[in-house]
Amino acid sequence: MSEQTPVEVRNVSKTFKDVKALDDVNLQLDSHKIYGLLGRNGAGKTTLMSILTGQGFPDAGEVKVFGHTPFEHDATLSRICFIRESQKYPDEYKAFQAFKAAALFFENWDEQLAQELIADFNLPLKRKIKKLSRGQLSAVGVVIGLASRAEVTFFDEPYLGLDAVARQIFYDRLVEDFAEYPRTIVLSSHLIDEVANLLEHVIIIDSGRIVMDEDAESLQGAAVTISGKADVVEEFVADYPVIHRDSLGALASVSIQQRLTPAQQAEARELGLELSPMSLQQLVVRTAMGRNVLAAHQDQAKERASWNA
Amino acid sequence: MERVIKVARMQLINKWVFIGLPLLILGCAFIFSLVIFWIVRENGGEGTMYGGGAQAPMWYFLALGIQALTLTFPFSQAMSVSRRSFYLGTVLLFGVCALALSVFYYLMGLLEKATGGWWMDARFFALEWVADNNVAVQIGFYFVLMVLLFMVGFLIATIYMRWRTTGLLVFFIALGVLLLGVIALLTFNQLWANFWTWALTWTAAGVTLWGGVVAVVMAGGSYLTLRKATVA
Repeated sequence: MSEQTPVEVRNVSKTFKDVKALDDVNLQLDSHKIYGLLGRNGAGKTTLMSILTGQGFPDAGEVKVFGHTPFEHDATLSRICFIRESQKYPDEYKAFQAFKAAALFFENWDEQLAQELIADFNLPLKRKIKKLSRGQLSAVGVVIGLASRAEVTFFDEPYLGLDAVARQIFYDRLVEDFAEYPRTIVLSSHLIDEVANLLEHVIIIDSGRIVMDEDAESLQGAAVTISGKADVVEEFVADYPVIHRDSLGALASVSIQQRLTPAQQAEARELGLELSPMSLQQLVVRTAMGRNVLAAHQDQAKERASWNA
Repeated sequence: MERVIKVARMQLINKWVFIGLPLLILGCAFIFSLVIFWIVRENGGEGTMYGGGAQAPMWYFLALGIQALTLTFPFSQAMSVSRRSFYLGTVLLFGVCALALSVFYYLMGLLEKATGGWWMDARFFALEWVADNNVAVQIGFYFVLMVLLFMVGFLIATIYMRWRTTGLLVFFIALGVLLLGVIALLTFNQLWANFWTWALTWTAAGVTLWGGVVAVVMAGGSYLTLRKATVA
């Protein structure tokens, strides 16, 4: 087993016509970790993943997977698995044929695991892939992604169409298999709170730039929401970085990006304020991902409110 | 090389595509032709009967060239297969199938001659222009035709994969301009008579040779185009 870093990305840029899909991206992915690749629609997640797997190519910069450029490099490619969100299968292929093909190419393919997953997801093996529902199609991708046991596995919005139970099956099976066969897994998802517990490291990409690249641990409890009487709340949060404000009459709810010490928390409670931790999704949405858009919208709403006053 | 073989095996997962359908098309064309020959013969038709149905599966290979790329290439990318392995595996597999079918044509041609044209003086497989050559030319001729047709489809599909609709438009318009240019040249210089006289001198061996050259050029072109093609 190579001791090389699984994935190294240096100064990668990619432009499509006049849109900069990736702008000077620098990343390093280690082995035995589950990464969350989060970002808005069109932020560049799929572009990045397709470049990392040799399916696309950068306009500038370089990518190294286990020390080699993945583009057209069979030895490296066989250690990677990337199932796209809208993966095309050969016409006329039945579900079992897709798995047969996957078993051919992925060295670590585990047929038993595949069969268990197929049963879990209730996949009709003899049905043509084009006749599968959106959820079943996603399930096929999930089965291939998990059973491939590829050293670097990318899941591109794998949950599309999956019902809540199926999603839970996916998360449970992922964690279970990862514990026994640790590898590098990159999960791109819009359902941030659902996967928050799985992620060990969070990467956020916005308009082609990496705006967050941190361990999930440091993000847990990094923000707190303080609610109570508006004037009391405002006085309390005066010294802290505010990321969101909500108010209804005399009551206010303000979120701050600050870890409060037990003493500070006690002080807040004494003032009659309520504290609640901010979820990863809320934190990410209010800061890295949606800061500009959401803040601007709030400002507009305030202006409209002041005209009516 | 191992991965190349795996690509070939992947293309054979659905045996219908590379083996079943061409044989079915050939079988139907042959049987239908035989029935027609028999009807003609039974109703007083005289002289040697020629049927062109043997070319039927070859047009399917044109479609196969297109499909092998448009439908299987995106999937092969998901299977983490390099474009090079995909190209070699697919083209080599087709080569093997085409060779097998060409040998089959040759053997059926022998059978045709041995049975006196299926007991009806009918020609389907052993058309004289081809069959009056040695083994190598015969098999080579069928092989080159099949590969040419496959390559036409494959090349067009790679152009689409890389440059999408714009690429196809540019390609076909350029081709049209080229053809128009040649036609204009021949017409203005009143060279048509010369052209047809020359065309009639073509032999099966010549077509095999030059067809082979064109096929190799197209094969190289399609590889270079595919190298930078993307799925999305």
